[in-house]
Amino acid sequence: MSVETLSLLSLACFAFGAVAAIMAFRVEALRSSLLQFGAAGFGMLFKTAAIGMACNESRTHFFNSPSEMVGLLAWSLGFSYLVALLIAAARSLGALIMPLVTVLGVVALFVSKESVGIDIPAQRLFAIHVLSAFLGYGLFLTACGASLLYLEQARLLKRKMFGLIFRDLPSLERLERLEMVCSWLGLVIFSVAMVTGAIMASESGRPFWLELKFLSAQVTWLVFLVMVIGRALRRLSGRTAAKCVLAGAALVLITLALGHPFGRPQAASSVNFSLRTHAAIHAERKLKFTLQRSSA
Amino acid sequence: MSAPSENTPALQHTLRLIGLSHHTAPVAIRERLAFRLEDQPRALSLLLARGCHEAAILSTCNRVEVLAVGRDPSVDVATLVRQFLAEFHAIPEKDFSSSLYIHHGVDAARHLFEVAASLDSQILGETEILSQSKEAYRIAAEVGSCGTVLRGLFERSFFLAKELRADGGIGRTQASVSSAAVQLAKKVFEIEGRKILVVGTGEMATGIVRALRSAGVGEVWVASRTAARAQEFAAQEGGKACDMAHLVDHLAAVDIVLVSSAAPHYIIGPSQIHAAAALRRGRTLCLIDISVPRNVDPLVNDIEDTYLYDIDDLEEVARDGRREREAVAERWRPRLAEESREILRKLSDRGTTDAAKRLIEHTVSLRQEILKQVRSSGLDARALEEIERALERMQGRLLHGPLETLKQAVRDGDGAEASAWITRLFRLEAQAAQDATGLNVDELTGPRSCKKADAPHSSAPDASSTKASSNV
Repeated sequence: MSVETLSLLSLACFAFGAVAAIMAFRVEALRSSLLQFGAAGFGMLFKTAAIGMACNESRTHFFNSPSEMVGLLAWSLGFSYLVALLIAAARSLGALIMPLVTVLGVVALFVSKESVGIDIPAQRLFAIHVLSAFLGYGLFLTACGASLLYLEQARLLKRKMFGLIFRDLPSLERLERLEMVCSWLGLVIFSVAMVTGAIMASESGRPFWLELKFLSAQVTWLVFLVMVIGRALRRLSGRTAAKCVLAGAALVLITLALGHPFGRPQAASSVNFSLRTHAAIHAERKLKFTLQRSSA
Repeated sequence: MSAPSENTPALQHTLRLIGLSHHTAPVAIRERLAFRLEDQPRALSLLLARGCHEAAILSTCNRVEVLAVGRDPSVDVATLVRQFLAEFHAIPEKDFSSSLYIHHGVDAARHLFEVAASLDSQILGETEILSQSKEAYRIAAEVGSCGTVLRGLFERSFFLAKELRADGGIGRTQASVSSAAVQLAKKVFEIEGRKILVVGTGEMATGIVRALRSAGVGEVWVASRTAARAQEFAAQEGGKACDMAHLVDHLAAVDIVLVSSAAPHYIIGPSQIHAAAALRRGRTLCLIDISVPRNVDPLVNDIEDTYLYDIDDLEEVARDGRREREAVAERWRPRLAEESREILRKLSDRGTTDAAKRLIEHTVSLRQEILKQVRSSGLDARALEEIERALERMQGRLLHGPLETLKQAVRDGDGAEASAWITRLFRLEAQAAQDATGLNVDELTGPRSCKKADAPHSSAPDASSTKASSNV
């Protein structure tokens, strides 16, 4: 099976999950966490296989084309949704997350698949950095989805609007718990991305901490840290905490836009500089090796 | 009372549902005609002895219904059951006859389907009736009064009831004020183990507290201006009485507040909630005020993390629920009517097949009987073989005509009449009675069938008879 076929299969699963999650507000038969879990689970399975196959085929670069980046974001969101289903059976969240995953999946099919970065051998540290950053983004955005649902349910409860959406949304407490768990998990995983990114950037010998991407990531990380600590200390709760998460999610989007080459020339970040250095070293080593073999 | 409506088969004339319910009779009559569970086997046996072929009794607090199949169309099942009810309960017939409804054939099946699906219940969509129907079916099956027809009908009714619940609306929404209160609280918290404070001991509070408790709410605190009444209520509901003077402290400690007092003014206002909120550290509070006039200031709802609902809000949730249930019920009624026509047609077709089967079995047993007599006459083996073959040929030719006619009759929609004639011409009634409960209804209702009601077939048909039977 080709990468495209697997991507299309995953897209079909995500699209089915999205339609089912939206229709579930009206159709009782679709109101099943298992159905959502199946759609998201199979979608993730195909998407993971597609990403794995793409990595295996390219060898020389890692998530460096706009298509791969968008696909990876869809994958991380799908993963976070599975986590949300596992910890809170928050099926209604699918009405927000699954359409987003589907749209990203479609975008990934149409945007450029050409690498805009530097062709480098796959580095373990870079792989960890990219994966943890994207998983962190996915979890933060899922927490943002839970916050949106929380705010909507709180509004409906306050205004006493007992319609279809009110009936199908989970309790405020469950949404709050989901928001909290996703933020915690996101924070831990995003910390890994921050550390690995800092290590790689430090190799460049440049003042990476002043770069916009790094600054934005730091602020995002800080906002979520304050939020989870505030919650743990019971200083933050309810709608205020939900709004905090929304602010954090806005920062996630800014960081994503600043830090990743979605169809524009490679961003001049220290990590990329470091990658270029690694690429140059690798090319030099390869040349030396070839010369040695030919002289032998 | 409904009359036979369609040109449907014999069951239209033999299947009857006679009963009364909360729609037609007050509780004073219903309670007099109710059957206790332990009396039902005896009652069913009596019904069978009086001429019912099959019978089942559904007796609940809201209805007493007898579903019966007459041995043949000449038996007036309705009168039989009416007299039986009067005699069994020692009540003059005139006391309840005006409250009785009698459904015939398809209408009886439709009514049974609607009852099992709780479309005829006082609270549309309640689940209790399905288990009560299952219990009625179980008892009838144990007694042996549940044959092919009732088994087919009951099993189909259970299947449809389940499907209807899965369709949504009926089971999802709340139809009473108590369940609406639980639903609202459940939208705020996961209510298991939550603490509830009951302020005042109004009558409606009991129902809501019980509903909340059965939903998993933990401790119940009761505060009232009259300490004795608080203690009484607390003892009754398994809670503990507390002092009204420390209301703010209680508000700080609990998650749900149910106010049901007769005070003519607000008992809880924003100042108390603000004072409690300082101690609550952001924990959400849900207040349900069912008092009229209201005892909680509506401004409380504007406070962050505090949700207030009054009796109108509960009514609205319940009304929405009832509306949605009604909509589902309206959507399902035509389907149930169609299903009842379909099942009766299928059951009647089974009747035709049974008649053919019994005819074949009858001739086979006659052949065997003659052969037995011939064998005892001392003829040699070759002659016996010839006679046996001749008898087999004769049986085949003899049956060809009636079976072909039966087949044609089924095609023309006269299967029931033809099978009734065949049963009469060949005097197959005795065999029919013996066979009554031994048919397989799996193809009508799926694999679930009551084994206890299965009676063994009178004789096992040989290969040729089975083949002939399957042709019909």
